[in-house]
Amino acid sequence: MLDWLKHINKDHPEFWKEYLAKFSKNSKRYVILATESTGDSLEKDVITYISAFAVENDAISIKDSFETILLQYRFLHDNHLSNEYIIESRLLKLSEPEALKTFVEYLGNGIIVGHQIEKDMTMINATLERLECGKLRNEALDIAIMHRKLHEIPEDKNFSLDELSDYYKIQKPEGESVTEKAYKIALLFLKLKHKLGLK
Amino acid sequence: MNIITGQIADFLKNYAPFNQLTADELTEIANNIRVVNLEKKQTLFKINDSLHDSFYVVASGVINISVIVDAEENIIDKCHEGNIFGLRPFFAKNNYKVTAKAREESLVYAIPIAVFKPLLANNSEVLNFLLENFASNLPEDRSSKGNLVSDGFYSEKQSEVQFFQTLAYNTTPLLATSDNTAQEVAQLMAESLKNNVIIFEKNGPIGIVTHADLASKIATGRYPINTPVSNIMSSPVVTVLENVSLAEAQLLMLKNNVTHLCVTVDGTDKSTIKGVISEHDLIAAQASNPGVLIKEIKRSLSPNELKEIRHRLTNLIQSSIQKNIPLTHITNISSEINFAILKRAVELSILELGSPPARYVWLSIGSQGRKEQLLLTDQDSILVFEDVPQNKYIEVKDYFLKLGKKTTETLEKIGYELCPFGHMASNMLWCKSLSDWIKQYNNWMNATRENTDNLSSIFFDYELVIGEQKIESAINNIVFENANNNSLFFDFLGNDALRKNSPLSFFKKFIVEEEGVNKDKFDIKTRALMPLIDSARLLILSHDIKGINNTYTRFKQLAIADPKHSEVYLNCAEAYLFLTKIRTLEGLKNENSGQYINLEELSKIDREKLKNALIPMKELEELIKDTFQLTQFS
Repeated sequence: MLDWLKHINKDHPEFWKEYLAKFSKNSKRYVILATESTGDSLEKDVITYISAFAVENDAISIKDSFETILLQYRFLHDNHLSNEYIIESRLLKLSEPEALKTFVEYLGNGIIVGHQIEKDMTMINATLERLECGKLRNEALDIAIMHRKLHEIPEDKNFSLDELSDYYKIQKPEGESVTEKAYKIALLFLKLKHKLGLK
Repeated sequence: MNIITGQIADFLKNYAPFNQLTADELTEIANNIRVVNLEKKQTLFKINDSLHDSFYVVASGVINISVIVDAEENIIDKCHEGNIFGLRPFFAKNNYKVTAKAREESLVYAIPIAVFKPLLANNSEVLNFLLENFASNLPEDRSSKGNLVSDGFYSEKQSEVQFFQTLAYNTTPLLATSDNTAQEVAQLMAESLKNNVIIFEKNGPIGIVTHADLASKIATGRYPINTPVSNIMSSPVVTVLENVSLAEAQLLMLKNNVTHLCVTVDGTDKSTIKGVISEHDLIAAQASNPGVLIKEIKRSLSPNELKEIRHRLTNLIQSSIQKNIPLTHITNISSEINFAILKRAVELSILELGSPPARYVWLSIGSQGRKEQLLLTDQDSILVFEDVPQNKYIEVKDYFLKLGKKTTETLEKIGYELCPFGHMASNMLWCKSLSDWIKQYNNWMNATRENTDNLSSIFFDYELVIGEQKIESAINNIVFENANNNSLFFDFLGNDALRKNSPLSFFKKFIVEEEGVNKDKFDIKTRALMPLIDSARLLILSHDIKGINNTYTRFKQLAIADPKHSEVYLNCAEAYLFLTKIRTLEGLKNENSGQYINLEELSKIDREKLKNALIPMKELEELIKDTFQLTQFS
């Protein structure tokens, strides 16, 4: 709690202050999040794709969704990679600071839900740090943990997204994109939420 | 655009009314959809809930729509993938009058009314579709449901429906000009099995010739049969616009005292003919009653039409059971309709293959043969053709095999599954000449011991579907001749009947399935119904009672023929009815054959009743053991 108070004098960007202000209220909105990164290293690797759907009143809202490609020119250049595919796709493309800003605005004080959400969160936090912001303050839920809770399975057992989908008989989406992953997590979350009796 | 939006739009595109919208409109809808997950038995909305701001499309799973009648939940509709429901907010302001509950784990898309409504304004077809869909969520027979639910809801909608309901009519009417002769016109009608011909000139219709005209003007001798048709036609013909409603068409017929209306492009008799509406179309549009169904079956020209009718029969059975109409009546009606469908399926094949080269008979065997088929179960049939000279035999057999194959395919399309044991007329083994069949029955019955492998008791329940009655009688005679004092054969049947596992354990508990998908369910077919059916057949054969195929009536007959044990028989008859009812209800609920009963879903009273219905079986078993002194096989 005191952590962010200490930093409040530090000059955070404007959007970050607005973000923090939102936490004066509790949220009933869940934000189902899936990201794609170039790797696991917090220093070297970067986020390339963020996709999210909101769940409110036990329903996935298709409109209340977020999807963007992050243009990581520097990363691509440093690693001698081509950006041909990214340039050609019709999706929304933003630079890293822009993307994070819009995402944080979209996220607000919603409760984050994901699969192996720790990874996503640390990656996002690392990126935010580069933008001179603090860490995300949202609550986060992991569907694999929810599944373990529901069936009282020991902690050390891990479940891949495919295993969970098979278990709860979620229809396989057509492709493998991050957005489809987020949608799949959202469907799983609806089922788990009902079964666990979460409000 | 989000990739998921695209996938949802692609999904919607496959179903009415969304197939009539543009890609942009679909994207707009998909973009505003909320995806709702329903667990098994979870309720989406129930009677008297205030209206939601959306209507729903089933994305996967099944949603049951039900009303409460006399404190009982009655399912009036089942929504499958792509079906829409919960349309009430479009048309009314008061609360929901039905309950929507998931039958299994389901996913539904909620489409906000606010988004969809603007699209209706410039798309009247979509509006009509929604109205019809809204109205079709009601039981067919409204008048008999004199209770609060229907009063508040159905009557309000009925006029609306009638007003909007468009008619399905013949869009390819027979046409003739005024210089055709009466004979030519009659010939035309006979060939295409229609009862009317429109007479036209240049572009417009000038008259119509119907069966009635031919009967009153030609058959009476008032005109010779080569008279020009203009002398006998009814003129002018009443013309209407293309999208005439049911109510309107009815009024016009009454007002003009005619039985047919001619549909033209602009509704006058000076424009192009689009079709003809007959009284039959009006009746068909109004209700599914057995008479109408049979009439429609006789006229239908494709498996799809028959499938539609079979579906309405299911609804009819369901509403009849709910109205507590005695099951014997329902079975009678439904087997009549089933037979009409079977007959029509054979006829359709004949229409395609040409007339049969020899006399034949198509017999239904098994449950259809006993006229006990309420639910869609599998098809069992045999075909017997008369003996033909050796040189023609192959050709004839070939024709009938084709006929069998074609017909079973048609029936499969209608929804009767193929028999897993191949007991069908399309099978070489069960499509053969009369003398071969006589040999077959002789073999089965006199050398039972050697021929048990392909002998199934269902071959002893048969009923004529179409063909020569005499051939059936010949088979009948053989069966009863051979049955006379044939203890070996009765032994076989008796053991067959008693071999089935008993339904109750020693402690009067139901014996349920121990594994598989139907774990913990009660197999009502093999454990309760089959023993009764098999025993009834055995006893009826041994008592030499001919021409009764139905298990219920068999027991009734036996009670008369064998008064000493009449009580056992009558109990069995009642038990049989009750078991059938339970099975049918289960089948209707789950849209399957109802073979496995989920005991937990039965009410306590029904469970007790079911147990009581199983008690007479024990007595019957003893009776059979005594009568036939079952030893040789056991």
